[in-house]
Amino acid sequence: MSNSFIPRWAKAGATVLALALALTACGSDDGGTAVEPKAAKPQSLRMLYASTEADAAAVEAILPAFKKKFGFELKMDSQPLPGVQTKAFAELASNSSAYDIIIVDASWMPSLVGKLEPLSKYINDPKLNDMADTDFGDFIPKVLYDTSVYQADNIIAQYPDQSKVPDAKAITEAGFDIYNLPLQANVLIQSYRKDLFNDPKQKAAFEKKYGRPLEVPKTLDEYREVAKFFTQPDKKLYGTTVMAGVGDWSTDDFKTLLATQGGNGLMIDDKFNMAFNSPEGVKALEFYRSLITDGSVPPGSLNASWNEVAASFGSGVTAMSQNYHNAALNDDVDGEEGYAQVPAGVAQGPHFGTWGLAVNPNGKNKAWAYRAMTWLTAAEQQLTMTQDLLHPTRTSVYDQVQNQTEDPQLAEFYKVMGASLAVGVGRPRLTNYTEVAQAIAVAVNEAASGKKEPQEALDSAEQNVRRLLSEAGYDLGS
Amino acid sequence: MTTVSTSPATRTKTAHGSAPKSRRRAGVVIGRLGLWAWLLATMIPLVFMLITSVKPEGIARSLPPKWLFTPTFDNYRHVLAGGDGLSQGFNDLLLHSAIVTAGSTLLTIVVAVPASYALAMRTFRQRKFLSSWILSTYMFPPIVAVIPIFIYAGKLDLIDRYPVLIVPYAAFNLPIAVWTLRAAVLQIPYEIQESAMVDGASQFTILRRIIWPLLIPSVATAAILSAILSWNEFLFALSLTRSEVKTAPVGVQEFTGMFGTQWGALTAAATVIVAPIVVMTLVLRRRIVSGLTLGAVK
Amino acid sequence: MPRPGRGGGTFRSSQRSRNSTAWVLMAPALALLLIMTIVPAVYLLWASLRNKTLLGLTDRFVGLQNYRDVLSNPDQLHGFARTGFFVLAAVTLELLLGLLLAVPLAAQSRSNNIAATLLLLPFAVTPVVSALMFKELLNPATGWIDYYMGQIGLPAHVEWLSNPTTAWVAIIGLDVWQWTPFVALILMAGLQSLPHEPREAAAIDGANAWQTFRHVSLPQLGPFIAIALVLRTIQAFKTFDAFALLTNGGPGKSTEIVNLQIYRVALQSFRIGAASATAIVFLILLSLLVPLLLRFAGRNADPEEA
Repeated sequence: MSNSFIPRWAKAGATVLALALALTACGSDDGGTAVEPKAAKPQSLRMLYASTEADAAAVEAILPAFKKKFGFELKMDSQPLPGVQTKAFAELASNSSAYDIIIVDASWMPSLVGKLEPLSKYINDPKLNDMADTDFGDFIPKVLYDTSVYQADNIIAQYPDQSKVPDAKAITEAGFDIYNLPLQANVLIQSYRKDLFNDPKQKAAFEKKYGRPLEVPKTLDEYREVAKFFTQPDKKLYGTTVMAGVGDWSTDDFKTLLATQGGNGLMIDDKFNMAFNSPEGVKALEFYRSLITDGSVPPGSLNASWNEVAASFGSGVTAMSQNYHNAALNDDVDGEEGYAQVPAGVAQGPHFGTWGLAVNPNGKNKAWAYRAMTWLTAAEQQLTMTQDLLHPTRTSVYDQVQNQTEDPQLAEFYKVMGASLAVGVGRPRLTNYTEVAQAIAVAVNEAASGKKEPQEALDSAEQNVRRLLSEAGYDLGS
Repeated sequence: MTTVSTSPATRTKTAHGSAPKSRRRAGVVIGRLGLWAWLLATMIPLVFMLITSVKPEGIARSLPPKWLFTPTFDNYRHVLAGGDGLSQGFNDLLLHSAIVTAGSTLLTIVVAVPASYALAMRTFRQRKFLSSWILSTYMFPPIVAVIPIFIYAGKLDLIDRYPVLIVPYAAFNLPIAVWTLRAAVLQIPYEIQESAMVDGASQFTILRRIIWPLLIPSVATAAILSAILSWNEFLFALSLTRSEVKTAPVGVQEFTGMFGTQWGALTAAATVIVAPIVVMTLVLRRRIVSGLTLGAVK
Repeated sequence: MPRPGRGGGTFRSSQRSRNSTAWVLMAPALALLLIMTIVPAVYLLWASLRNKTLLGLTDRFVGLQNYRDVLSNPDQLHGFARTGFFVLAAVTLELLLGLLLAVPLAAQSRSNNIAATLLLLPFAVTPVVSALMFKELLNPATGWIDYYMGQIGLPAHVEWLSNPTTAWVAIIGLDVWQWTPFVALILMAGLQSLPHEPREAAAIDGANAWQTFRHVSLPQLGPFIAIALVLRTIQAFKTFDAFALLTNGGPGKSTEIVNLQIYRVALQSFRIGAASATAIVFLILLSLLVPLLLRFAGRNADPEEA
């Protein structure tokens, strides 16, 4: 706060006028003002970022290198969820130019697409791609198509071929555009206690009981069995974790199981079919509930989120866990972590959600903002940031980090992440997804706690979701 | 009236012997025990906060809780200085909080004192309606006000500037400040004002020369209550700031997230947020209490 | 600023001039409240008639559609009911406990000075912080409460926040922890300010401690109880942090109060029109309550104005 209040207050009136003028001016122009690659360097750039969810520490660590490369500073303000969402929306809604780069989560994109700078023009202009190796085709296809590729006039549409190597020209020809560059991809993976799984006593006991060797579970049936096997409440050890509290986390657990049971992991498809209310959905909830009735998850699981699950595994309370990062044991727990893909059923589809960097269309330094983004998301920088455990978004980075790291555990973690992302499932493209996810989370929580039967819970969730969608202006037909 | 000055205990004894006295004493003891049991129980969260903030990182959450360890101030250093994924140190955030709190408290008082005086003027015909209306605005839930304020603040380019927090906080504190101060003005014998009026003093002179000095203790009460709310407010601070005026309660959330909670840092941050307000509350405890009763004492 | 010209005017003109002075003195307060409550309320009223979203994806006049959505949505109506339940339960408990604590606290003694000081501590703790602390303490896997309850033979592994009843106990417990001190101190100061004579007279007449309290002190305490009740009721309707951080509305929807619903629709889905309609309904309900509370408080606390 260097200036006094008064001039700012006085300025406010003028700003309103200017804003109003600017608004009418932009309105006619489709937001697509030409970018000037030769624009002068700014004094500094400012970026809104998400704290731990998008690994702010990793970005912060390379900011000095950024300054060296660009000759000016990149300033970062970070805030955790859910605050960062409120902020990002506020900035874009008020057409503020305060931030040049704004972080966006995949789940916000349906609302934000109309408010973000389309990037195909930037990607196709070699003069704007001069600060880093910006190999666009290197982004993991699933991650890029889910996070960044949208059709502005038909938001709900998914890109048809999500396995194709990303190509900006092909994307625009199909009527889509690119609205951010993905940087941190969070996908559900399984962590487990390697020391327990390798313990000869445990191995012998398991084999004796189940007639097969003790291994990290690959199927849902094995998963349930192994979880049950390790559970010994008197020794404060439980098989695994669930995030069954009301919130995104339980919806995400459910959609993973839904896909695993062979259902559509998107839950609601682009024809508004309620794919979550299906026999597969019921099976998913039955399985989820069985982990709880077996007693295989620690107490408190019915109110757990990402955070509590990480704490349970970290303090050595569970033999396995499912989470979105390399869940680690606390210092005072004697043990070793291992990582694996989450168990498969008739199919696979771990939930994933990605954070991307977007150019603020109201920003004053759009060309440099884009250049900064290409540098931050380039393979070289992503690889450096894996030292701070970034979850990269490029195929080549997963390959390189596995070869380069001397830490076998880390190599395993990144191998699992890369493989999981390749089969991951994102979210439906709904402008009020938060409310929809909340309604489904309530159903998951109620089924998990036994308050409702799975079918009953899903039926009432479907009713709520239909109401929410029609309140948000979606035409569901009949 | 001389009998009144004799001690009640003696009176009881002479009237009823010792049995009721011992029963009364038993009641007092039970009451005291209950009071201290409550006090001890309510300290648990604060003890947890303090202890965890000085625990070395590895044992912060181990069970059974460790009570013997070498205290460390690393968490405080990290929290105050920032870095390592923390976008701003708490020394900045606490400064912002202090400016916002001081500004909004000052604004509240400057606006509330004349208003309370006007509302206590017997000649002011609309005073009853206006007092009720002002108190009823205390009901206006901040969660409801945040939407329009957020939209207008965005349009007026006021986001992340001090007034955007100071003005709403002052407005939300105003009703309780007016309530407290008006009661205090009503307590001042009207004859004092009347005699001044007879001497030809204007309302402003009366307010400045006569009412204000008598009001200072209640002003302190209203100020403390306003300060506590402003210092602790979260929702507006979250929605309306970026980094220039981001306050400490918003910063504290940065230690919880998807990948677990940094309990050491979180509790250290919580402690530095809570400490100033606790110290202020303790120092001014008598003021807070006496001010709160004013509305009731006649 | 004296006004010599008016000093000797008629009674009526001096009355008018005092009235206008009063309005001048009131002006800043009225302006502030106008900007921060009336303007938002008018905006909400306007927005509630439109299907407005924050980012302007839609912004069309829809008449009373948003209100129909609110009033036909059982979840929303339950939200109002839950809010009422919370306020009733929390405020009642705080008044009872506050009274119980105030009686021993009112005796003037050195130890009570320390007690009053300690009592006030929770009141000053930032609500965000206290909610986070409570959540961790109650965690059945890693929290202190579960551990020590198990140690002293109480039922261990109580899933406080996973069961509707215990979740309410936890949330109301947090509110009681934070706000009982406020109530207790008001009542303590009240008890200390009561004249001794009536109590002594009752003792002479053979009343026991309870009778004296019930028939002498309690009625005298009326105005103080009224103040505590009014302030706490209003504050309790605004509770948000505890719910957002402790239960997020769960388990199921059992602690989903109106403030959480407004927050979700307004600040997570950014459907401003829909959120405004809920807010307006909430405001109408609250404004029906205000006169009731004011009458109650007025009768007890403000004989001059009653």
